Amino acid sequence: MSMDDLSRGSGGWIDYTIARAIEWPGKAFSLLCKGGILANYIIAILIILSLNFLLPRMMPGDPLQAIYGDEALVAMTPQLEADLIHRFGLDLSIDQQFIAYLSALAHGDLGYSYYYGESVSQVILAFLPWTILLAGSAMMISTAIGLLLGMESGYRRGQPLDKLLLAGVIFLSGLPDFFIGILLLIVFGVSWRVLPLSGALTPYGDLHGTALALDLLRHLAAPLAALVIVRMTSTYLLTRNSMIATLGERYIVTARGKGCSERRIQYMHAGRNSLLPVVTSVGLHLPNIVTGALFVEIVFAYPGVGWLLYNSILSRDYPLIQGILLMVTLSVLTVNMAVDLAYRRLDPRVGNAH
Amino acid sequence: MLDIEGLKVSFGEREVLKGVDIHLERGDALSIIGESGAGKTTLAMSIMGLLNGGCSGRIVLQGRDILEMGESRRREIRGDVMAMVFQNVEDALDPVYTISDQIEEAILVHHPMDKDRLRLRVDHLLIQVGLNREKGDAYPHQLSGGERQRALIAMALANDPQVLILDEPTASLDAMTKAEILGLLRESMRDRIGLVVTHDISAASRISNRMAVLYSGRILEMGDTEEVLARPLHPYTRGLLRSSPNMITTKDLQGIPGRMNSGVKGCPFHPRCTQHQQRCTFELPELRDVGGRMIACHRGGIVPLLEVRGLCRSFGPLKAVDGVDLNLCEGETLALVGESGSGKTTLARMIMGLTRLDSGEICLEGEPLEARSKEFYRRVQMIYQNPRESISHRMNVAEAIMEPLDVQGLGRSREKLERVLDEVELSSDPEFLNRYSHHLSGGEAQRVAIARALILDPKLLIADEPTSALDSSVQAKILRLLMDLQEKRGLAILLVTHDLALARKVSDRMAVMKGGKILEEGLTSDLLAHPLHQYTRELMESASGVDDDGVQVKARRQVEREGDCIEEQSFEVCRRPGTWQRMIRWMRSS
Repeated sequence: MSMDDLSRGSGGWIDYTIARAIEWPGKAFSLLCKGGILANYIIAILIILSLNFLLPRMMPGDPLQAIYGDEALVAMTPQLEADLIHRFGLDLSIDQQFIAYLSALAHGDLGYSYYYGESVSQVILAFLPWTILLAGSAMMISTAIGLLLGMESGYRRGQPLDKLLLAGVIFLSGLPDFFIGILLLIVFGVSWRVLPLSGALTPYGDLHGTALALDLLRHLAAPLAALVIVRMTSTYLLTRNSMIATLGERYIVTARGKGCSERRIQYMHAGRNSLLPVVTSVGLHLPNIVTGALFVEIVFAYPGVGWLLYNSILSRDYPLIQGILLMVTLSVLTVNMAVDLAYRRLDPRVGNAH
Repeated sequence: MLDIEGLKVSFGEREVLKGVDIHLERGDALSIIGESGAGKTTLAMSIMGLLNGGCSGRIVLQGRDILEMGESRRREIRGDVMAMVFQNVEDALDPVYTISDQIEEAILVHHPMDKDRLRLRVDHLLIQVGLNREKGDAYPHQLSGGERQRALIAMALANDPQVLILDEPTASLDAMTKAEILGLLRESMRDRIGLVVTHDISAASRISNRMAVLYSGRILEMGDTEEVLARPLHPYTRGLLRSSPNMITTKDLQGIPGRMNSGVKGCPFHPRCTQHQQRCTFELPELRDVGGRMIACHRGGIVPLLEVRGLCRSFGPLKAVDGVDLNLCEGETLALVGESGSGKTTLARMIMGLTRLDSGEICLEGEPLEARSKEFYRRVQMIYQNPRESISHRMNVAEAIMEPLDVQGLGRSREKLERVLDEVELSSDPEFLNRYSHHLSGGEAQRVAIARALILDPKLLIADEPTSALDSSVQAKILRLLMDLQEKRGLAILLVTHDLALARKVSDRMAVMKGGKILEEGLTSDLLAHPLHQYTRELMESASGVDDDGVQVKARRQVEREGDCIEEQSFEVCRRPGTWQRMIRWMRSS
């Protein structure tokens, strides 16, 4: 299929995709029934891959123009155009293209970033650890803090500590994370000068061992705090509510009837059961943490994927944007799956719900 | 060993328990029955020390007052010295732990022990309650309702408690499982102090040897379980028994009028009690011993309304009534059955004062009757077989119903008329009130006759074949009406009838009469299940006028055969009233 066919007869390949899509679910469904949880995620990944593959091709106009921007109008000769069409495999049929795309992905090939002059995967890999460090630790710390505060607060419902926590958390939950980031930056970075203003490490610091770790933590502290403060609130509120509801359940009375101590009831029975909705919500909130991290990285010029995405948008680096989005969605999906599996361990009722 | 004295529990302003005294020894199993909201669960929870409300009084277990203990000391005995079997509601077991884990926890919080001994003990408990290790390793949601209840019992028994409290232990279980669990519970309560809180009287009767009736935070009646059930003394207990379905009584279910209110002065039950007096409205009755039964009632329980001793009446050589003794209590129906000429109607007329007595004594509410005063007819009224003839054809409906008011000199009252018409479910529009008896249908005429009898608020209604002239559908409605009136106002009914099948459905007690004598008298269900007198049996055989061969009916029934196939079987059956009673007799004798 030539490029002309693609732009002119877009109806043709849409029909084809639909035909494929109808064929797909039949097989996918049986897989789902057998493989259960894993099949769900495989299907989700395939859909994401297909969308990632199709979306750029559904954009109006010339794919070359989409890739090379306005330059394509000026510098394009027919010879160059034919050359590029061949190089990008646009003369192949759509399913051949898809297969080529998938096999490229399988080799870790996400395309070529012309701004960095490197393959997209290499660029992302260079920035990714910082985001994982920031978002991952933010997720864990905010969940832990939210859970602990929520359990204490819910157990002491109506008492001074609960009221204080609740008021404070509700106030904080109204603020966006980048705003808190800017506040922290101004207070700790500018006014008090106790924390660095930007970056993940002191440039040319040539630090080793403990000094390196401390430097890393000093840079991490403010962006992490900004994320944790905001992300902790939803976990706290959910845990608190869930705790209050759980304390009203009959098995709490049963536990009291056995003579369990209050601490045991608070943590082993009420707390343990309140964990379930919180774990679900951690999965659901993961995209929020990632977007939060993207914003916070921009505020603190923290060299993570968010900062990379921001810059690649500014420089119109389409392959890189596409690669980042794919990577982000896939990692969100992966963490979701981990949460799903953890939930099955936590709540025996889910395991054999089918 | 467990002494509860003057236990009062209140939540804020609301007092839920208002002074409960219970004394229990080892081996006692006391069931506490009552409607929801009576304070049953509060009582159980306050003994366990699981209430946040304010408790006063004393709960003494082994010489130590639980209410005076600190929370930590209470926690030590809770689940150890005394344990509670919780109701198997949706989440009585923690959903995230296995059954074994939860039983282990019950042991470990009191007696730390090593893993092997613990495992052994848990296995032993599981077997004791009829579960096994496999079930123990399951999560609560994987078990059936009965199995979960067993798990809850195992948890309660974990530390071999001396006091075992059961809270609605069989609610939400099906009948078969219930029977199994009740057996297990009875076994579990042996050699302990047992306290069963339930609204299920049949369950209570199977696992307890003593029974207490709790109403609005007070005990109204307490005694030996079997005796309380066979002969309830308090009107509330009788109401509870009448409203709970069972396989024995034949009378239709009746409720208790009104509903429970907690802020009542005087006797807590008096607004719903049909025999309350002035005194009941301001003075609280004490729980006191009446012939081995504890009862809290100013009137000493259900009042005997009518007592008849040695009544005789002859017409020439014919002894129509020959030494009859009868008793009729408040709110009770006594059916007087027998063939025509047995003297039933004469007896009814003698009680009513329409026929002179030769000898004997009639007492109404304990006082012997000498002459029939006007006042007597305010308390006793009668309805007759043929309603149209019993209403003067010169009076319209309104006049007929209000005539007793004129006779008693009470003055006509539109209000009373409308109330009584409403009670007998007749319209009170002027067109109807102006009708004469020959304009009325049989059912309407009998309702008018009942309304006339009720307008004076009598306590005793003598009904002489009240429905024999009516269609069976109308008959059903009239009898339902009488039962409802009995429920609402505690009307005692002396039902004179030859129809055994009818008497069976509406009467509490039955007296069989022949040749002027009472041959047999007793609880209707007993009497029909075990007729002792030959004549009663004959009467039953011929009940409803079906001849000895009965009616052959083609019946169909779906029966499950072995191998899970359901087949429909047709067979001939002899449908004859009385047949089933004989069958029961046969089953009992074999």
